[in-house]
Amino acid sequence: MPDPILKLKDAAIYQGDSLVLSNVNVEINQGEFVYLIGKTGTGKSSFMKTLYGDLPLTEGEGYIVDYNLKTLKEKDIPFLRRKLGVVFQDFKLLNDRTINDNLLFVLKATGWKDKNEMNTKVEEVLTKVDMKTKGFKFPHELSGGEQQRVAIARALLNNPELILADEPTGNLDPQTSVEVMEVLQDINKNGNTILMATHDYALLLKYPSKTLKCDENQVYEVVQRKP
Amino acid sequence: MSSSFEKHQKRRLVSSYFSVVLSIALVLFLLGLLGLLVLNAKKVSDHFKEQVVVTIYLKDSAKQVETKQLEKSLAMSDYVKSTEYVSKEQAAEFMKAENGEDFMDFVGYNPLQNSIDVHLKADYVNSEQLEKISTEALNKNFVDEVSYDNDLVNLMNDNVKKISFWVLFISSIFTLIAVLLINSSIRLAVYSKRFTIKTMQMVGATKQFIRRPFVWKSVRLGIIGAVLALIGMSFVLYYLNRTFPELGLLNKPILVILLFALVFGLGILITWISTHFATQRFLNLKTDQLYY
Repeated sequence: MPDPILKLKDAAIYQGDSLVLSNVNVEINQGEFVYLIGKTGTGKSSFMKTLYGDLPLTEGEGYIVDYNLKTLKEKDIPFLRRKLGVVFQDFKLLNDRTINDNLLFVLKATGWKDKNEMNTKVEEVLTKVDMKTKGFKFPHELSGGEQQRVAIARALLNNPELILADEPTGNLDPQTSVEVMEVLQDINKNGNTILMATHDYALLLKYPSKTLKCDENQVYEVVQRKP
Repeated sequence: MSSSFEKHQKRRLVSSYFSVVLSIALVLFLLGLLGLLVLNAKKVSDHFKEQVVVTIYLKDSAKQVETKQLEKSLAMSDYVKSTEYVSKEQAAEFMKAENGEDFMDFVGYNPLQNSIDVHLKADYVNSEQLEKISTEALNKNFVDEVSYDNDLVNLMNDNVKKISFWVLFISSIFTLIAVLLINSSIRLAVYSKRFTIKTMQMVGATKQFIRRPFVWKSVRLGIIGAVLALIGMSFVLYYLNRTFPELGLLNKPILVILLFALVFGLGILITWISTHFATQRFLNLKTDQLYY
């Protein structure tokens, strides 16, 4: 069996000086779709931030896409993030440039040089999220759902081994949430591994999958009841 | 629609960059003017020192050949810039022109003496040198008296020393203010982009890749500001040179060129360093730290 893409062993997640989660033992394998649920303030975002290097892992062990989180150096963080695709609740697009330029920025920043290859890649990811015709628009000209699709397209640019989605439907209405979820499901079916933090239980029921819960400083797997 | 947004964005950018360019230009302009002042401070003080006149009054018995001899020896000495022989008749004319009435009408004769006005080189305008020159002249038996305003010379030397010190002090303060003002303008401009910087980091861009366009943009603003400052300095230099040609502000063009190059270089250097550190600050912060 191949090594898991994400492995945390006896890890503690800190937000500043305060302990948010302790004794975290989590494994995520290639191709899985995993939910991370929990009430607001239970540590979902801190957990995600630790995974993409925005918070340090100081206790326990943690391995993600072949990087050791415990010994992760500041200079390695950009290269870790290139192997991950991160999707945020508030989209975090660059508002001063068009969608195409947003995506081209990521490609240039991650070492792409050939202009034709870059344009082809941009078109490819925008097609995947059904936004091929909107590349010339600015983020503010798109709806929330469309912006989130672009954010997902951006996360796909470097064929990430793991996509971390931190409440990607948190700012969207139920109908749009389902549309964005469909996009994530399609991506997962194509072989991408996804860890998605959410507190939208309706989505869990509609698209059941492995679920981790943050509660009382612990992370544990929960089994969904069949309807 | 997007083109109107782009225009709006450009207008916003231009207006925000305008204040940065203006502060860079003004600060560098003032710094450049102080530089000009420092470069020409000696010339200016020399100019005033060389206005001091030492008047050697000659006895009526002095022979023309003796007078000529004295004038010639003075002109050849190291400490004299220029001499001028003033006959008692010329002196009377000057006095008449100055007072508006002819004193000879009620005195009945010309009581003034023939004299030689001596303008000294600036380096020799101090009490010790003046006394030495005066004693030397008085040794000649046809010299009646040597007159100069010793208090004025002392006052002038004291003031030149004080002014030189303050010019240097103010220049240093201005340089510091220049760096702080430009730094603060740039930090504000970068601060407004802190979330953009963080987003760029989240998608895998290295610090160097993110920093580069910020630094390049600021350096371009620094160049524009420096060019505006140099244009301003050129106007001031042209005007001063026309108004006070005796100061010879352009006598040593290499110094002026060096000063211009220094101001230009400072514009680039300050913006470069300020942007480097301002972006570095936000690049080193964690996302949560951006909110406070």
